[in-house]
Amino acid sequence: MGRIHLEHMGGERLFSCASCDTVLTNKKELASTRFTGATGRAYLFKKAVNLTYSEVQDRQMLTGRHKVRDVSCKNCDNKLGWIYEFATEEGQRYKEGQVILERALVIESDGFEENPPPLPEQ
Amino acid sequence: MQQTNCPTNGCLVNDGTASEDKGYSHQEPIGSRNDSGESHQQNGDGTSYTDTNGSATTLPHVKIKSRTERDIIKLIGQHLQGLGLSQTVEQLIKESGCRLDHPAATKFQTHVIEGDWVKAEDDLLELKSMLEHPQALLEIKFLLLEQKYLEFLDDNRVIDALYCLRNELTPLNHKINRVHELSRFIMCNPGDELRKLSGWDGKGLQSRQLLMEKLQAFLPPSVMLPPRRLRTLLCQAIELQKERCFYHNNINEKNYDNYSLLVDHTCKKTCPVKLLKFSLIMAMKFGFVVFQMMGPKLASGSKDSTVIIWDVDPDTLTLKHKHTFDGHSYGVSYISWSPDDNYIIACGPDDCSDLWVWNVQTGELRVKVSHSPEDSLTTCSWHKDGRKFVTGGLRGQFYQCDIDGAILDQWEGVRVQSLSYRKDGKTILAADTHHRIRGYNLEDVIDFNIIQEDHSIISFCTDETGRLALVNVSSQGVHLWDLEDRILVRKFQGVTQGYYTIHSCFGGVNQVYVASGSEDHKVYIWHIKRERPINVLTGHARTVNCVSWNSKYPQLLASASDDSTIRIWGPAKSGSQTSCSPDQSSLVLSSNNCFQDFF
Ligand SMILES: [Zn+2]
Repeated sequence: MGRIHLEHMGGERLFSCASCDTVLTNKKELASTRFTGATGRAYLFKKAVNLTYSEVQDRQMLTGRHKVRDVSCKNCDNKLGWIYEFATEEGQRYKEGQVILERALVIESDGFEENPPPLPEQ
Repeated sequence: MQQTNCPTNGCLVNDGTASEDKGYSHQEPIGSRNDSGESHQQNGDGTSYTDTNGSATTLPHVKIKSRTERDIIKLIGQHLQGLGLSQTVEQLIKESGCRLDHPAATKFQTHVIEGDWVKAEDDLLELKSMLEHPQALLEIKFLLLEQKYLEFLDDNRVIDALYCLRNELTPLNHKINRVHELSRFIMCNPGDELRKLSGWDGKGLQSRQLLMEKLQAFLPPSVMLPPRRLRTLLCQAIELQKERCFYHNNINEKNYDNYSLLVDHTCKKTCPVKLLKFSLIMAMKFGFVVFQMMGPKLASGSKDSTVIIWDVDPDTLTLKHKHTFDGHSYGVSYISWSPDDNYIIACGPDDCSDLWVWNVQTGELRVKVSHSPEDSLTTCSWHKDGRKFVTGGLRGQFYQCDIDGAILDQWEGVRVQSLSYRKDGKTILAADTHHRIRGYNLEDVIDFNIIQEDHSIISFCTDETGRLALVNVSSQGVHLWDLEDRILVRKFQGVTQGYYTIHSCFGGVNQVYVASGSEDHKVYIWHIKRERPINVLTGHARTVNCVSWNSKYPQLLASASDDSTIRIWGPAKSGSQTSCSPDQSSLVLSSNNCFQDFF
């Protein structure tokens, strides 16, 4: 089988898939830790990579109705959380495009400081 | 008028001086025949002269007005003259009123070919006013005297040669170095030694013709047509047609005899890129396939952890198993041949920290490289010396190792998707997770940006010159970059990619083609100058991960797929569908799938 193409967002503190170690996002992308998923505590990230997305589903949550897609690890296919496609409540719209990863399904590890991409040279 | 066939460029040679004035008299008012913006002064364009030497009464005079028409007649005349059809040419000149060359130029040419250097120099007085560049007269004089001097030497007339050198060549004060060089030839014996040392053909027609061609560069085309002008134009036309033919993949083209001048060239009917597929079934999913540098051997890597070396027959497109290299516990996702084809490096997928160097000649493992279990070594590139290589992966560094895997240098803090040495052997190109390709000079410890993409870079490779790079960009097609100018040249369209690691390659004669695998089960082929594919090869049943174009046999392409097949694609030959090896019959595709029907 072909080798799965994995991306890496870099960062000093990394969040990876707990079952296969594939790096998904980093601490800079962490928007909130005060969410709850199927397994308990969940984190909201502004962006995450190496995910696959399910079909869109309607889901009633504590904060109102949302359209979401479940997200899974691209490498091992484990379900990890969901992504907000659309929020019905005006006050919840900031979540659109952001990703919930359940804390029990991800692990944290140290990355390293990377120089930001330099500006294109003349 | 007596004429001789001049072998240099087929123009008319006029040996008489008496008939000249009558033959080329200013009969017509100049203004009336100049309709194409040419100068109305006598500028040496002989076309404005008319032969009225009594012929007007016997031949109806056709007036050729447009400059283009006159040029065409000149070209035809020159060509016919070259074929020795002097009478026809004479008639052509009479009837059309167009002359090939200016009489002064014709006279000059005769004298050069006859080796009459004194007369040739006298002719320059007349030609002088027609020369366009002020340096031209000096250049012409120098060339004439150079030939004169060398001919003296060849005749062993050393005194005359010395006189020519001191009193004629040197006073020109031109090309001093060449004059010094010429003076050294005085020492050598006439004949072979002189010819060998000077690279000159010796006294005679051959060297004088060559001289004439050099002289012609300084004469305006209106005074004297450049040699074999019609043929030159036709060759240019064929070259242009070839360049515009996106299917042109012919090797061994030495002349134009295979091209008809009667229709535009096109490869549609016999296109070598029209590929016939040939399949090989194996019970393994192939992630990578690559041809060796200088021959038909193919290396494949698969998920089930083996590397196989195949012998490919370029004529029958059959594969013969040569070696199997086992023990790659994580699978093989990248392979690279050493420049001398003696070794291959095999790398694993992302969770693999090892790398293998195999001796392809003996089939033995040279070394298994394993620095740290934390490493991820997924890509590599050989140095051009074949004694070291660079390898790295997503964990955040790359190494430069010797052939036995000992680390020579390492660079920390870059997560590498794909690696390649530049031609200089000093700079390493690395595609990283920030969508960039950066250059790293390990000697001077400097790094610099070369390419910045907007999306994730999956893989990249460079062409033979090292100047162009093909970059597979997640969900964005295949991008062609000029690494020196650091600009995006072209975006090749059609491929689906982003989930798997897809590889592309350059190929074909002069590497004018680009091929890539795709997640839509197809192989895409582009001409390097066109965004849209010229060919989409169907037949694979799953993602095509990798393609490789053979550099020795530029009509041979291999593709590796998750459908457990490697396919070898070669030129379609009539009837060759049935000659595919019998055990692959289930995958031999009907002619409907052949490339011919794609359009
Ligand atoms: Zn996973």
